[in-house]
Amino acid sequence: MAAAVDLIAAPWNIGLRPPAPGREPGTWRAPNALLAAGLEARLGPAALVELDRPPYAVDPQPATRVRNGVTLREHTLKLADAVHTTLAASRFPVVLGGDCSILLGCLLGARRGGRCGLVHLDGHSDFRHPGNYDAAASLGSAAGMDLALATGRGELLLTHWPDVGRPLVADDDVVQIGDREDDDTPPVTRFTAQEIQRTGVADIAERVAARLDDRALDRVWLHIDLDVLDERVLPAVDSPGRPGLDFPQLTDLVAALITTGRIVGLDVAIYDPDLDPDHAYAAPIVDCLASALTPLLTTTEARA
Amino acid sequence: MKTLLADGPSPLHPSEIEQFGRLAGHWATEITYHPADGTPPRRVSGEWEFGYALEGRAVIDVWRWPAPADLPAGGRTQDQECGLCVRIWDPRLQLWRFTFHGTARGDVVQMYARQIDDEIVMERAAGATLVRWTFGAVTADTFHWRNERSTDGGHTWHLDQEVHARRLP
Repeated sequence: MAAAVDLIAAPWNIGLRPPAPGREPGTWRAPNALLAAGLEARLGPAALVELDRPPYAVDPQPATRVRNGVTLREHTLKLADAVHTTLAASRFPVVLGGDCSILLGCLLGARRGGRCGLVHLDGHSDFRHPGNYDAAASLGSAAGMDLALATGRGELLLTHWPDVGRPLVADDDVVQIGDREDDDTPPVTRFTAQEIQRTGVADIAERVAARLDDRALDRVWLHIDLDVLDERVLPAVDSPGRPGLDFPQLTDLVAALITTGRIVGLDVAIYDPDLDPDHAYAAPIVDCLASALTPLLTTTEARA
Repeated sequence: MKTLLADGPSPLHPSEIEQFGRLAGHWATEITYHPADGTPPRRVSGEWEFGYALEGRAVIDVWRWPAPADLPAGGRTQDQECGLCVRIWDPRLQLWRFTFHGTARGDVVQMYARQIDDEIVMERAAGATLVRWTFGAVTADTFHWRNERSTDGGHTWHLDQEVHARRLP
């Protein structure tokens, strides 16, 4: 397990469609909102790395049907560098998004250190790709495609990467938790939101750990799309839904995954402060993350 | 225009530039079109010349058909192609940016390219279609190029056009 935490702020919204004509999604404000709510003080990171905010383009970019596809590639490479630097220093990256397209840079950075699995904690499968929707009808939004892109489905622009090639992660090395969808489900190990409601978080965590063990995955990235929470506890996301986890369940699940010792880093995505003008939800998100990462912080202190 | 062409690859990214730079020179081509409607393939002759440009940061080519021996007596007609391709290695994106400018029909095509295994794959998304132009089987004196199209997100590909190229002395 890593010896300390680095916070990496990725103020992105380029993976989302405009919420209204002429308006940009507000997820880029999330890192600052979470830091203002005390996340840095709670985690005590060794470093706070603040990446630039990518420019948001409303119009299509050349030769791609993914919104902001060219910009996304450029900033994915920058994020990957930051994640890799943290991992190379034997620290644990906590990446604050931003929208779900940050997953690509996180995985790319982690993959530079070797094979890396993925636990994809998300209220949606994020598995749109040109093979399962009409790419001619509208620009694709990478925040709804991140699992497809990570598993190598989609345009070369966002699926072929330096040093790693394609895919960033194999289907068999992915565990999807918490989605509520039945259409075009990805060919990965999957625990739906409904299943979590039936069996409980502890059971799911055990089965995920068993799957990681079966696959001999010693290095795993954890993607947390906060829309895995029920819309009644966190409505300030791009695509809220139900059923979903509550904050204590999410805390317990992430803590249990961290305790496996296999998680090398995590990202937190899709909280939109524009949908939460008072930033009332920032504090419970910070509480959740700080509590869930306690096993990691305790280990850090014990080794210090 | 003495500043357009260059003698070799830029020292900034020599290994990347050489992915296309190794094609520098003059090639005779046999171009085969494979109609999607199943009608028999159609073949024409052509020529393809590659060279370094822009202080070695780019590799350009001129794509022409028919070959000189098959040109009409009055010279190349308006609908016979003489087009320019420009490839620039973009270190920020870690891939090639590519543009083709055709003079026959006014085609302008943009693509992105990366070396994948022993091939160079160029791709663009257009509507619901992915189009790939791939350079493969590259030797000192020959290469094979194919133009493929997928309408199912890359699951299956239809070969629209291919080129067998032979280096000219």
